[in-house]
Amino acid sequence: MIAIWYAVVSFMLIAYVILDGRNFGAGMLHWFVARTPEERRQVIAAMGPLWSWHEVWLVGFGGALVAVFPRLMASAFSGYYLALILILWCLILRGVSIEVGGHINDRLWQGFWYFVFVSSNFLLAILFGAAAGNVARGVPLDGDGNFSMPFFTDFGVRGHVGLLDWYTVSVAVFAVDLLAAHGATYLALKTEGPVHDRSTRCAKYLWVAIVPLFVLISVESFFVRPDVPGRAVHNPVCWFGLLVTLISAAMLISGFSTRREMRAFLASNFLIVGLLATGGAAIFPVMLHSTLAPENSLSAYAIAANHTALVVASIWWPIGFALAIAYFIFISRRYVGKVSVKRDNQGFY
Amino acid sequence: MNSSLSDPAFWSRFQFGFTLVYHYLFPQLTMGLAWFLVYWKWRALRTGDEKYNEAVRFWAKVFGVNFAVGVVTGIPMEFQFGTNWAGFSRYAGGVIGQTLAMEGMFAFFLESAFVGALIWGEKRLGQRYHFLAAVGVALGSWLSGFFILVTNAFMQHPIGYRIESDGSLGIDNLRAYLLNPWALIQFVHNQSAALVTGSFVVTAVGALYTLRGLHRTQAALYLRAGTLVGLLASLLVAFPSGDQQAKMIARHQPITLAAMEGKFVGGTRAGVAAIGQPNVAARRLDNPIEVPGALSFLANGTFQSYVHGLEEYPADTWPDNIELLYYSFHLMITLGSIFILLMAYAKFQDWRGRLQSNTWLLWILMLAFPFPYIANTVGWMTAELGRQPWLAYGLFRTRDGYSKVLSSGDTIFTVIGFVGLYFVLGVLFLYLVGRQIARGPAEETVALDLAKDQELVGASRQEHFV
Repeated sequence: MIAIWYAVVSFMLIAYVILDGRNFGAGMLHWFVARTPEERRQVIAAMGPLWSWHEVWLVGFGGALVAVFPRLMASAFSGYYLALILILWCLILRGVSIEVGGHINDRLWQGFWYFVFVSSNFLLAILFGAAAGNVARGVPLDGDGNFSMPFFTDFGVRGHVGLLDWYTVSVAVFAVDLLAAHGATYLALKTEGPVHDRSTRCAKYLWVAIVPLFVLISVESFFVRPDVPGRAVHNPVCWFGLLVTLISAAMLISGFSTRREMRAFLASNFLIVGLLATGGAAIFPVMLHSTLAPENSLSAYAIAANHTALVVASIWWPIGFALAIAYFIFISRRYVGKVSVKRDNQGFY
Repeated sequence: MNSSLSDPAFWSRFQFGFTLVYHYLFPQLTMGLAWFLVYWKWRALRTGDEKYNEAVRFWAKVFGVNFAVGVVTGIPMEFQFGTNWAGFSRYAGGVIGQTLAMEGMFAFFLESAFVGALIWGEKRLGQRYHFLAAVGVALGSWLSGFFILVTNAFMQHPIGYRIESDGSLGIDNLRAYLLNPWALIQFVHNQSAALVTGSFVVTAVGALYTLRGLHRTQAALYLRAGTLVGLLASLLVAFPSGDQQAKMIARHQPITLAAMEGKFVGGTRAGVAAIGQPNVAARRLDNPIEVPGALSFLANGTFQSYVHGLEEYPADTWPDNIELLYYSFHLMITLGSIFILLMAYAKFQDWRGRLQSNTWLLWILMLAFPFPYIANTVGWMTAELGRQPWLAYGLFRTRDGYSKVLSSGDTIFTVIGFVGLYFVLGVLFLYLVGRQIARGPAEETVALDLAKDQELVGASRQEHFV
């Protein structure tokens, strides 16, 4: 039961990454792929009316975490205090820039909000990337399951670590490239004209850059967490995740070379799912590793809520999930195909 | 609570209170306005009268800005349970996590899926589905309110839990937890109060246009619907929901009731003070002028009944800010009573066909819209200050709930950030909504849109030349 809930919570986070990740990516590339006002509106319209639906996956993840692993939520959120609050501020600015940018047809007004839009998306990709690096590396948990971390200490990966060190920074760089590539692939699917051509070109470069970065962080991960690979080889989910990643990479290449944009975009989603699933399965059951002493680590089995909580959540969660997907399909079916600036003006008037 | 200004616990409390009060300015209008949109869209479908569709289009834009600020300021609320209130999450997360998670799955997915379509998607969806989108958003926003109120009701009146071996709480009976009687009463009370806010805003815009002689048809529509809903909702806030709420507090939180009224000594025929300042150091109400028996009646239904005083209880179970609690409660009931009288008079004038020409009344209705916001805020302050010094009433104290790992430097830094960011958001919100209201709902926006489109095409052509 606890393993299943670990999978559900991971699933919600992964869903958030692939759904909102495309918005981070599209946001970061906004200036590079779109130059005229019309082109920029195309990018915003491509993010569609569902960006807040994407963001709900993060809220759903947070909620599920309190319901099922309350002690993890308490330790991790208070420990990552500064990083999380920065993420919240960036999410606020990003949301506002999408919603109000289109309200006034004025060069200065829109220029300002595009700037906020691009920089908040960029920062979000960095912060989420660094957070992922932190989960992989571990945090300085004490015997009571508490920790607090400044932004940085000595940039080392052992003992009293900070949010940023050489490892988490390289994971953040990897995340920025990955999400940018994901966003570019999405824009290639949803737009036409010059934005489409530039996005396609961007996507190719960014996906090629993923390869050396992936090798780099894999090697680094072995060094930072030598204890993980030994356990991971016995976990079939890890192998399955790797398989998904490899197949997606092949699909991605074929999608781009045959100009099948839907195939490329699906492959991009599955590639991220595969990578994150492999990582998530590899660290299981330790949800938060202690860099001070291994026995301080928080294991899913030790910190889960009581059995009743897991049982009742297992009843209502699938219903909520089915409904959420139903709404998504209903709305998406009405927004299929390339976006049209005229029809999907998202407030640009 | 140690209220020293370098105490991280104080700043965690301040930050939660500030971000929550600010956040709730927006959902109360969302929840209030949503059913107006549903109603007008339904009328448009039934009658085919384009004026209802115009009303929907206009209010959907106001709704959109309001909704966006509500969403972005809402996400920090959930996360602060972990960031600033780790002690409480560790203690009660096994219970309240259920509703926090349900809110995401059942309410947020629903409203966020349909809100974009409601505001921008009329052409994509067609009329019927556009109506459906309005219903989806309204249901989603009210469900969200329900789950949050259940969570709050657990903090006020914990039921459905069991104590685990490590001393923390776990869920025991989900049905009892979700159907907490406190939550059900609070739900009616709070949702009616949100409708009051919505109806006062709709009425105020109607009054504004009428006074300026603009958008006649639309203004009449807003005034008619606004005053009707305003009257019904104001009545519902008082009876039965407010009345039941008071009896609930008298039964389960007698200390809170005594503090709300500044009653230090218990007695029969207890009154409600019309005037009087609580003097906690001297343990009395200064210069009181009371309505005799009113509190006894509110609490127990008879004028003679006995109401407990604060001195019957140990001082460490008293709310830690009796003065603010007292004023919040009194402001809430005063404003609530005024709303009933104002809306009853406005509806009466409307029924006689004299509202449109009653300049004085229109001025009052136009300027009255901030007061429901104040009433909602002080109502929540009454609930939350009254709950102190507990986070879960009778079980877990506030001073044990905050995140011990946070330094005062961390918390002061984030408080400064939130205050600054929310100030900018507020200015932006007022500017955009003010602009929307100044542009108005009328037909001329269509012509304006066409002109704007041509202007845009022109602008982008020029850029190509450059």
